[in-house]
Amino acid sequence: MENDSKVVTSFKNFLIEIGELSYFTARFFKELFNPPFEFKEFWRQCYNMGNRSLLLVSVTGFIIGLVFTLQSRPTLEEFGAVSWMPSMVSISIIREIGPIITALICAGRIGSGIGAELGSMRVTEQIDAMEVSGTNPYKYLVVTRILATTVMLPILVFFGDAIAIFGSAMVENIKGNVSFLLYFNNVFDSLQFSDVIPTTFKTFFFGFAIGLVGCYKGYNCKKGTAGVGLAANSAVVYTSMLLFIIDFIAVFVTNIFYS
Amino acid sequence: MEKTASQKIRLGLFVIIGLSLFVLTIYFIGSKQQMFGKTEPLTAVFDNVSGLQLGNNVRYSGINVGTVRGIEIVNDSTINVEMEIDRTVFPHIKKNAVATIGSDGLVGSVIINIIPGKGEALPVQPGDIIKSNNRIRTDDMLSTLNVTNENAAQLTADLLKITNDINKGKGTIGVLLRDSAMAKDLKATIHNLKITSEKTSKTMDNLNRQIAGLDHKDNVIGVLKDTVVGNKIRHIVTNLDSSSQEITKVVANLNTTISNAKDGKGAINYLSNNPKLVKQIDSTMTNINQASQKLNENLEALKSNFLFRGYFKKQEKAKKKAAAGKS
Repeated sequence: MENDSKVVTSFKNFLIEIGELSYFTARFFKELFNPPFEFKEFWRQCYNMGNRSLLLVSVTGFIIGLVFTLQSRPTLEEFGAVSWMPSMVSISIIREIGPIITALICAGRIGSGIGAELGSMRVTEQIDAMEVSGTNPYKYLVVTRILATTVMLPILVFFGDAIAIFGSAMVENIKGNVSFLLYFNNVFDSLQFSDVIPTTFKTFFFGFAIGLVGCYKGYNCKKGTAGVGLAANSAVVYTSMLLFIIDFIAVFVTNIFYS
Repeated sequence: MEKTASQKIRLGLFVIIGLSLFVLTIYFIGSKQQMFGKTEPLTAVFDNVSGLQLGNNVRYSGINVGTVRGIEIVNDSTINVEMEIDRTVFPHIKKNAVATIGSDGLVGSVIINIIPGKGEALPVQPGDIIKSNNRIRTDDMLSTLNVTNENAAQLTADLLKITNDINKGKGTIGVLLRDSAMAKDLKATIHNLKITSEKTSKTMDNLNRQIAGLDHKDNVIGVLKDTVVGNKIRHIVTNLDSSSQEITKVVANLNTTISNAKDGKGAINYLSNNPKLVKQIDSTMTNINQASQKLNENLEALKSNFLFRGYFKKQEKAKKKAAAGKS
């Protein structure tokens, strides 16, 4: 009986969480189109989330391209299909691996950062102070961050994809004597708009999810300083889960439209 | 303040480079699909397009020159495939060019290959319809392969039967493999063959030597090969030829003479065919002989007669004078 009540309570909490998140999202869209716009803070957040994540995303992308090619090579060699490497790597990276890996890295770096930053501001009552001083903390803190992640993540994904494909081309150039020109020619031969456009749309949603969950967890942080760590942690966990759910829905919808 | 400006510059660079990557990707994909070049339509009619899709590549002599822009079913055996072809390629595609459906590699996507036609023809114009050849489909190949498989199965069954028979020692090959006496005979035969071949080889060597020796001038053939001798022989043969012709004529004349003598009524025919006459001639000759003897006697008597003695003496003197004049 006690277990039943725990399940029901958990379910209720889950529904409450979903409801609050929905309100939070609705408020974001409401505040987004209402002036004044916090451009300065928006650009600052863009710089923090975009430029400062670039090195991490580049290194990860390069290593992924490198490792992916090295791991695939023996299998493709067995089938005598090494010439398909550029097609396989480029399609895999652009469609799936690039966006999801970049998004997960950003969820870890940006999502947790937002959660911790806003959480600490909440527990130190800085947000309350902003409200008292007449500044709209939601507009200043939340809208700018969510918007920045939404805009920056696709650009980070472009960088990540390009560097991953470059890494793969480098391996092929060293191990397979394939020139960069031939490699990239094969890449663009095999790529279609149906590979690039849906995946780009998907990354906007990824960015939005990272910003939204991070801000939600930080903005609604409770239980003092312990809650800050919890907010940062749960922001990463929930964002990661949400990313895979969005990815699944995106692939499903893309298949419906392009099949 | 400076820091903010530098941050803005960096952010601007980041955004511009990121968006450039995206735009370049879109551009390269689009250019591969002939989206930014000037293209013109060209149509081919097929009865089966084997999974062709919009956007598939069109190749002319192995070069990507366009993409498939439309696939339309006209009726149950006619499918119109509209292609967008690079305008600069149109002068090279002739009206007798043939479109075929192929694949990009063994497992690649379906493509249209435009193969140049044979002979002279005018270049195609935008909107023209070119001929097409239908591809050998995988299911056709599989059905052929099925027949081949059946034949192969039958062949292997027959082979199995043959090998079983051979193993049991049946048939010529079975006996060859199983019969030890046959094997011994075969061995002996091969041994004999070996000896024979060795002897043949020696004989051939001798023969070769003999033939090589024929070239010497001491031999008949060597002499014959000499050009002077050859010319002489040729001359002799020519003379022989003319002589034989003359002999033929003489023989013909003789034949005529003999036949005349045989068939005619001359003395020779009479002599040869009448034995009585021969006897008469024989007795006549005997009589003549006797008569000449008697005549000789009479002449001797005349020489002693005083009437003719002077005449004979004159004759003798004349003879003596003639003899003395000669000496």
